[in-house]
Amino acid sequence: MQLASRIYEAADISAVQELYHANGWTDGLPIVPPTREAVEACLDWVGMPPAQLIGIEPVRELSVTAEKLAINAVMAGCLPMHFPVVVTAWTAMMQSDFLLHGATASTGGCAVLVILNGPIRREIGASGTFNALGSSDRATSTIGRAIRLCLINLMDVRPGSIDRSTLGHPGKISYCVAEDEEDSSWASLSQQRGLEKEASAVTVMAAGAPRQIMNEWTTKPEEILETFAAEMRANLRHYSIYPGNYAIIVPKQLREHLQAAGWSKTDVAAFVHERARIKRSEWADVGKGAVVRDRGDTVHPAMESPDQLLVVAAGGPAGGFGAIIPPWLGHKSRAVTMAIGACVDCEPPKA
Amino acid sequence: MSFLVLDPTPGTTAAIGRPAPRLDTLKGKTVGFVSNGKEGTKGFFGHLEGMLRAECGVADVVYRTKSNYSAPADAWIADEIKSWHAVFSGLGD
Repeated sequence: MQLASRIYEAADISAVQELYHANGWTDGLPIVPPTREAVEACLDWVGMPPAQLIGIEPVRELSVTAEKLAINAVMAGCLPMHFPVVVTAWTAMMQSDFLLHGATASTGGCAVLVILNGPIRREIGASGTFNALGSSDRATSTIGRAIRLCLINLMDVRPGSIDRSTLGHPGKISYCVAEDEEDSSWASLSQQRGLEKEASAVTVMAAGAPRQIMNEWTTKPEEILETFAAEMRANLRHYSIYPGNYAIIVPKQLREHLQAAGWSKTDVAAFVHERARIKRSEWADVGKGAVVRDRGDTVHPAMESPDQLLVVAAGGPAGGFGAIIPPWLGHKSRAVTMAIGACVDCEPPKA
Repeated sequence: MSFLVLDPTPGTTAAIGRPAPRLDTLKGKTVGFVSNGKEGTKGFFGHLEGMLRAECGVADVVYRTKSNYSAPADAWIADEIKSWHAVFSGLGD
C-alpha cells in the first residue's frame, strides 16, 4: 500500500507526543502514534486505497482522502472497525446542506454531533445507555474525537484560526452517541429519516451543547414533552430564534411512559413542534428588546416542520433525565443521515 | 523504541487565486460592498462609504448582502461583481 503522507521519526512515545503537540496536530490530549501499520489496517478494513477521495468541502474546496482520515482516526484512538463510521460521518459532513465551513468556523461554537444507528453499534460496542452523552464507551469516545482531529488537521479548524468560536463546548472534544434501539419499540432515527432498519447509519448535526431536563413526576406524554418543549423555548429566548434541526434525547424511563401511551416518534415530534415556539416579543423579557422592533407578534417555531426534530432513544435505564440539543444556526445547516457503505456519487445501475 | 509516524495534515497548501490588477485611483469608480449580513457591517460599511466618497472620489457605491453569512456569495452577486471596479467583502461580526 502506497501512502502519500510525510513520515517522521520519533525516538520514543514521549517524543511522538511532543512532535504532534508542537505542530498543533492534537486537541491537547495524548494521541495514539499513527504508524503505517495502524493506518493501513484502517484502510484495509474499509477496502479503500489511501488516495480514495472521501469528499470535497464545498466552501473552501478542500479535499479529504481516506489516508488522511485514517491517520487522524488512529490518533484519536479508533480501531479499524470504528473507521467506517468516521468515513461515513465525514462524507455526510461534506454534503452542501451541512455547511461544514460555517458550522465549524462560526463564533457560535457548535460541535458536530454524530448519532449511530443500526447493527454497527453492537459490532463496535457503541452503547446508548448509561452516560450516553458522556464517555459511555470506547467506540463513541474515539469516533467523536476522530471527527474533531480531522477538523483540526484537515480543515485547519483550530481555535483562533478557522475556528472562531467565542466559547465552544465540551462536545468539541468528542460528541458521538449511539441510539438505544434494543430497549425501544420506536423506529430508529435513521429509519425515521428514510433508511432501512437493517442499514447501519450515521447522522451528523451541527449542534450546540446538550441542555438537560428532568421530569419524574408524571406519566402523561403531554406533560413529559412539555418539559422538553419548555427547554427549547428557553433556547429560543436565550440563544437563537432560527428554526432548524433540534435533537431530543429521551431516556428509557420517560420513553416507556410515551410508548405505553402509544406515542410514536412521529407523535412526539408533532407535539413538540406545536409547543416549542415563542413570540418575538418574548425577547424583550430577556434583554433583547432592541431586535424585537415592530415584529413582536411574529411567532418563531423551533422547527420549520416536525420532521426537523431528531428524536433519539438513549440514556441509562433509570432516571427521568432527558436533553434537548439545539442547532448551531437553525436552517443554515441541516442534519444529514447516510448509510454506512453508501456511495454518494455512484451512478444508479443501468436497466 | 523509536516510531515512524505519519503527517495528519494535507501537507501542502492549496493554490489560491491571484489578486486582481490594482486600480491607480478610486476617483469616479464604482465600488461594491458585499455584506455577510451581520449587524456590524451596516455601520462599518456606511462609514467606509463616506470615506471613499469624500476622500477618494468614488462615484458610486453598491450594497449587496449574502443570503447566508457562512457560505460564499450567491452566484448572482458574484456575477454582478464583474461590473464593479472594486469590491469590499465584509467578514466576521
